[in-house]
Parts: sequence; C-alpha cells; structure tokens
Amino acid sequence: MSKPSPDVYEQGKGMDAHNKAMREIRSRKDETYDPREPTRVWIDEDNTPDGVYQSLTIILNTGGCRWARAGGCTMCGYVAESVEGGSVAHEDLMAQIDVCLDHEQENAKDPSGLIKIYTSGSFLDEREVPAETRRAIAETFADRDRIVVESLPDFVDREKIEDFTAHDLETDIAVGLETATDRVRRDCVNKYFEFSEFERAAADARDAGAGIKAYLLMKPPFLSEPDAIEDMKRSVRKCAAVEGCHTVSMNPTNVQRHTMVEDLFHDGGYRPPWLWSVVEVLKSTADGEDVIVVSDPVGHGSDRGAHNCGECDDRVQKAIKDFDLRQDPSVFEQVSCDCERTWELVLERETGYNQPLVR
Amino acid sequence: MTDYFEIHERDGAARIGELRLADPLTTPALADDVVTDAGSLWPEDREVPDGDESTLTVLPHRGLPAGTPDEVEDAFAVEYPDVDCPSAAVVSPETATGHGTDAYVLSNATGYAGHAAAFVDAMLSVREATPADTALYLPGVATPANVATLVYAGADLVDTDRAVLRGTKGFYLATDGEYFLEDLDELPCACPACQQPRDEFDREDCAEHNQRALAAELARVRRRIRDGSLRDYIEGQARHDQWLTATFRRLDQQYGYLEQRTPIVRRGEITAATDDTIRRVEIQRFAERVTTQYRSRFSNPLVLVPCSAKKPYSESQSHGQYHDVIQWRAHVASMTSPIGVVPQELECTYPAQHYDSVVTGEWTATEIEFVSDVLEAYLQRNDYPKVVAHVPPEGYREIVERATADLDVDPVFTVDDHPTTSESLSNLAAELEGELTYPKREREHNTIRAIADYQFGEGAGDDLFDEIQTESRYPKLRVTDADGEQLAAMVPEYGVLSLTLAGGRRWAESDAPVKRVEIDGFVPHGSVLAPGVVDASDSIRPGDEVVIEGPAAFGVGRASMNGPEMVESTRGIASQVRHVEER
Repeated sequence: MSKPSPDVYEQGKGMDAHNKAMREIRSRKDETYDPREPTRVWIDEDNTPDGVYQSLTIILNTGGCRWARAGGCTMCGYVAESVEGGSVAHEDLMAQIDVCLDHEQENAKDPSGLIKIYTSGSFLDEREVPAETRRAIAETFADRDRIVVESLPDFVDREKIEDFTAHDLETDIAVGLETATDRVRRDCVNKYFEFSEFERAAADARDAGAGIKAYLLMKPPFLSEPDAIEDMKRSVRKCAAVEGCHTVSMNPTNVQRHTMVEDLFHDGGYRPPWLWSVVEVLKSTADGEDVIVVSDPVGHGSDRGAHNCGECDDRVQKAIKDFDLRQDPSVFEQVSCDCERTWELVLERETGYNQPLVR
Repeated sequence: MTDYFEIHERDGAARIGELRLADPLTTPALADDVVTDAGSLWPEDREVPDGDESTLTVLPHRGLPAGTPDEVEDAFAVEYPDVDCPSAAVVSPETATGHGTDAYVLSNATGYAGHAAAFVDAMLSVREATPADTALYLPGVATPANVATLVYAGADLVDTDRAVLRGTKGFYLATDGEYFLEDLDELPCACPACQQPRDEFDREDCAEHNQRALAAELARVRRRIRDGSLRDYIEGQARHDQWLTATFRRLDQQYGYLEQRTPIVRRGEITAATDDTIRRVEIQRFAERVTTQYRSRFSNPLVLVPCSAKKPYSESQSHGQYHDVIQWRAHVASMTSPIGVVPQELECTYPAQHYDSVVTGEWTATEIEFVSDVLEAYLQRNDYPKVVAHVPPEGYREIVERATADLDVDPVFTVDDHPTTSESLSNLAAELEGELTYPKREREHNTIRAIADYQFGEGAGDDLFDEIQTESRYPKLRVTDADGEQLAAMVPEYGVLSLTLAGGRRWAESDAPVKRVEIDGFVPHGSVLAPGVVDASDSIRPGDEVVIEGPAAFGVGRASMNGPEMVESTRGIASQVRHVEER
C-alpha cells in the first residue's frame, strides 16, 4: 500500500470490529459544540530543542478527526468534542483563534514564544482546516518563535509545512504515533498507519525544514503493565533513531468519555498506567538517547488517569514535570512511596490474562 | 483431549482434581508455581513453546478484559495450537469453546470477581463451553474470604496474586474479609508470619500472612469437597461478604447448573441452619421428586406428623408413640423444615435422614412458605379419604391450613398442645377408629415402588416392580421376582435401590426412563472409564443407578459423574460397575 489513508486501511477483521464497536460507543454521545469556540486553550511551559518556552496550547474545534468518524482509536474521546455536521468554516476557525489570543492576553504577561495547535484530528487535513485557514493562522503567529501543529502522517507534505517555515517559524509536526510497534498501534489502538509512514512524514518534514514531535501512548487497552512499559521503551528508542524526530511526548492513556477504554474501565477490564511506570520509562531512556522525552500525565492521581496509590501521585507528577523541563533522571531520586513495592509486584505478576491486578 | 488433568471427586460444581504434572498437584490449588505464561499476542507474535511436563503452559493468548465489545472478542479470537505438553488456553465468557487443552484460564477474571451477576454468568458460560474434565483457572482474584465461593462455583486453580498485592497495600486478609493492617492492634492468626511483635509486622509480612491464609483456606475447601460439605461451609462463611452471598444465591437460581453436578446421595449430613439451605439442590430435588414422581399407593387415611431429631423418624421415641396408635392403619408423612414432606416409604431416602436443623420452635416465613407449598403440591397429587394433621399448633398448623386453603381437603387437627400427650394421642386414635390395617407385604412392596418412583422416575415403581416379593427385614429389604430371582436391594443408609443384573435388565426393557451408559465393545470390571463411554443419558447424576450396555457387555453400577460429563470426558471414572456379564 503506497499511500496510506483511512479509507484504504479500514480493512481487516480486527479493524472492522474495532471501528464497528467504536462507532456504536461514540453514538451514545449527543452533545454539540459552538463552532466559534475552541475546545480548550491554556498557557504552560514546554521544553524544546531551543530551550524552555512559554507556550500557548490551542485545541481547535475543527470538524473532528476523519478516522474517528470511521470508528477510530480505542482511547480517543476527543472526536466527541468536535462540532456537529462535520466541518467548520474558515471564519469560525479564525474566530476560535481570536478567542485564544484574547485568552493569552488575559493570562500571560508576554506573548508565548511557542504556539501549539491541536485539532483532535489533523491540522494538515484540508477537510478539517482549509488551506486558506492554515495560511491565515501561519500569518497570525508569524511573529512567534516556534509552532507545533498536529497531524496524522498521511497529511504531512512539504508544501503545507512551508506555509509556516516561510515565516521563519521553527515548525514541528506533532504526530500521534502512539507506539513504534505496528501491531500494538493496529490491534490495541486501532490506528491505521504504520511506522514506515511516520518515517516518511519525518523525512518530508525535514525536507521542509521542520521537525517531528512524536506522541506516544503508554498502555493502550489490552496490554499488561509490564508489556506496556516494554512497548514504550522500545518505541522511544525507535523514535530517537528517526532523523528529524527531536522530541517524544510519552503520555499515559487516560479514560476518556465514550471510548472503548471507558467501556473496559467501567467493567473492571482496564487500569490506566502507574505513574511509576512513566517514571521507569523516562529513567531508562534518559541516558544515551539523542531525543527529548517528556510526559504530561493527564488526570494524574485519579482513577481515570495515570495513578499510583493516591498518597504519592502529586509528588511523582511534580517530578515528572520537573524531568520534562530538565531531562535529568536524578529528579526521581527525590520521590519514593510504599506503593512502589506493589507496583514492582504488578510488573512481576501481571499478564495479558490477569490484568488489571490492582486498580 | 485432556491428558494432564483428572477429576477424582465431586461436590456440586466443585471438584477434587489432579493436575498430572511431573509433580502432580491436587486441585483446587494455587497455580503460582506450576503455570508458565507463553505471552500475550497483543504486543507481539509469539513462538509456541515446547513446554514440558513440569509446568502448565498458558499458550500464547489475547486477554479479553471485561467490557471488551463482542465483535472485538470475535475478531481477535486466538487459534490455539495442538501441543504435547500440559497446556491451558485463555478464554472469555463470550468466546469460550474447547481448544483441546488440559486447562482454561478465565480471561481477566479480575473484571468479574466482586460482581455476583457478572461472575456467575462468566463461570456458567465458560464451564458449559469447555470440556467437563478440564481445569478452570481464575487468575488474580483469590483471597482467603472468596476462594471457597470461587471453588464452589467451579474454579480448580487460583493464585496468590491478589492476596500478595493486597498485603503490600496494607490489607490483612482473613476468611471473614479484610482488615486495615494499621487498625489491628493484635494479629488474629497463628501462622508463622504472624508470630512476631505487632510493631515489627510490616506489609511484606502481611503479604506473607495473606498467602498462608489463602493456602490454609484452600486446604479446608479441599477437605470440604471430599466430605461433600462445601455448601454447608459456604452458607456460613460467604455471609461475611455480600458479593459472595449473592454469588451462591445466584447459583441457586441457576438450578440446572448445580443440579446436574450434585450427587443423588451423600455420606455427610446437611446442616440446615439458614433459609438458604432450603434452596440447595438436595432439598429442592427431594421436594420436586416427592411432588412429581412419587405417588402414594395406600388407600388408608393420611396422618401428618412432625419430624423428629432422630433419623430415620420411625426410630424416634415420638414416632414410636404415634405408631403405637396408628398401627399401620394410616399412611404417615412427616412435615419438616427444610425437607418439606417425607412420606413414610422415603424416610431413609437421602436427604430425609441426613440433615439436622436448628430447632427453636419458631418457623421463619420462608420455611412456612416452602413447606406449605410442598404439602399443597403433595396433597394435590395424592388423594386420601381423610387427612389427619397430628401436628403441634405452632407453625405446623398454619402450614397445613395454608396448604389446604385452596384444596378440597378438610384436615382434622388432633393436637391442642403437644402431639405426644395422651390427649392428643387419644384424639388421633379416635380419628382412626374403624380403619383397617394394611399388611406388611403391602407396606414393603409400596416402599420399594415408592423408592423406584423417586429414584428412576414417575411410574417406575409399577413398571419395574409390579410383581415382586420382598425378603429380609426393613430397611434392608431384598426384592425378588415371582421366581425368587433377586432384582434389587434397598440400601438402608441412603434409602435407594441397588439393582442386580436381573433388575437392570428389567429396567432396560421397561417403559420407565432408563439411565443408560453406552460403552464400547469391552467388558468393564470394577469401573467404566470415561474414554470407554460412547453415549450416556443426560439425566444421569453422580451417584445414580445406571445400566451399562455395550456390544460385549451388560451391567449395572453407580455413576461417578453426570451423563454429559461421561460423554465429554476423556479421563476419569465414569461409573462404578456392580455386576457385569459378557453378552
């Protein structure tokens, strides 16, 4: 298959089944959203190859992910946050950008050097964000230093990226690779592209003068805790070896509404990863890999997010955020808890057929 | 084909088995040391391991946790290879089917434990879909408190994972539930891990204690299965946790699952200490057979009497006093909780002389409802010229009134205070004035026929034992045909009939439903092994009298497993053989 696309890949028994199930699960949701409001916007700090920046993160409400309409990824509930009807007009998208700029003005002293735009789909998919809008947004942020836009690898091509690099913006394409293991991406996540397509997208981005930020997903459904850690260690190493991929954001699965993961979670068949597992991967990949590895456990400490015992979650989360900025594994020497012993035993004892051993 | 597992003893859905590894393991047991995981197929393809006889290899699998959509379970179903070593396949309730392995792992059992409805559904689905003679492993769920119920529901293998992990989280486990370790100012246990000062006892010790408590509880459960008394234990112990109580009650609602696996007779005595006892198979089965298979063949009046603590009732002092008055002029039936109604012919029949209940003089609403329902059904089926209720006013009288309210039966009450007072007894005598005594022959013949109805099916008493003679002294009756050839003997301990070859032949040729084990062309001696069984009646239960027939042999014996299990199994004793002849 030369040119992967959602349509071509919606084949095969497992994928059919996942998509069918996910369509049913998503159909339970019936909320709609205002097309002139972004899904979310916030200000944070981020580590980049050029150092730590204040960042403005925008989750644009586009028509939603094309793949999610077919069924889509087992853990992703963001599609539900997109507008009804499927597409958002140029004027509405620009109105969302205005809301974000207002938010930045109200909440930060200075303009953010780094702009991150996610769509819960693909910013570079012109069915979600028309070329006109993409260019206008590039124009809007032309005075910043860096920009990150999210896209599936199929939509990554040189011309689109050059809309940004033409303004001398350091540009990164954020790709939801999820895992470097094709089998896990296909069977557990239900994402249709292969690692080779990620490598191609990275090469195209590099040709356009952009970089790649790979997003990994720790512990998709069906994996045991030890298998999930192994998958992440292997994935970080494989990403680091891809030229142009300078950052890996490894994020634990959280339980989002109206997803297969939520159905499993509800019936006792899924536990988000331990924060100790995140720490374990960050520690083990901190040395020797020429790549920035960060993690942002969403909903940490809650049943639906990565969590430990409830006592140490905030401390461990703080260490992880610290590591994100400094890339120094010694930050983890500061934290310990009785529950590490439980976690160690989970790694010894948890298998594909008995997980989750503890909640 | 099950090569490495064999079931030796059964107690309902619970079994004593043997995992036939290099070092054999008696189940139900902890599987920690004998299971080797060949790995999950979700993250990567796996080699099928060579395995060896020292370990049970869990073949490469895809775990399907609770909540997995059905279509996903189907699409990702695993084809299990044929291997020569002891092996286990991972199955979910939705996709369970036989894979030719020795054992099955209930995929992600952690999702079901704690939820009675989901757990019972899962157990029934997997147990029904996998061969009867294979082991079922419930990973990651056992605790000292729940393991008896897990085994009662049909688990053969469990592990220490949950007990150990709870320990490391500071939970101290016992058969009555779990305690926060920090709340315990003394350790309620005598295991080695607990033999140290409380302030030195840490979470590692707690994990160790939890494992030991689980191992000890499993030993108790094995003993209970061997004694046929796991249910009696469960009725008390499971009460410490709502989901465990709900589980055994929901299993009672799945009567077919338990009934098929529950023996016809047991050595042990039933402890009737709760209303739940009424819902156990032995009690329900007796009531059902008495009210649908048995029929009274006496034309005399019926005298209802209260049960006695001494069994069989006729040997008690009170029943002796009733008998002195009745003198075989009435048919006697005893009213009792939890059995219901016991006609005199069935007073030896399991469980009529194998229970002991808690006597306070007070009846619970459940007892009253149950016994009156049984009595009503009994009186609907059997016509008596007269019904005398020689029962105490408390409880009994209400039951008789309830039972007869909608019937054309007008019971005469003969007791104002106590049934053995001379006033009561003379009331009874007055009601039987002028009734004729039935002869001993009629009594004994009717007893044999009644037992046959109960044991073999409605009408079997007439079909098999129309023209008979009886010899020897009740309750050790011998049954012969008109020519003096022995057909059967009454087993006094269980109140059932054991057949001779002639009796078996008569049964096989009768119109009565036959419990038949068809075997291959061999002559079995001592026992019939499951692989030799070609077919077997669905109605066969453990302990049932069976006819054994094949091209080379005819015999009679007592079933060791139920009919479907005989057909499905490739190992184990299907039936004992009492008499056999070549044909």
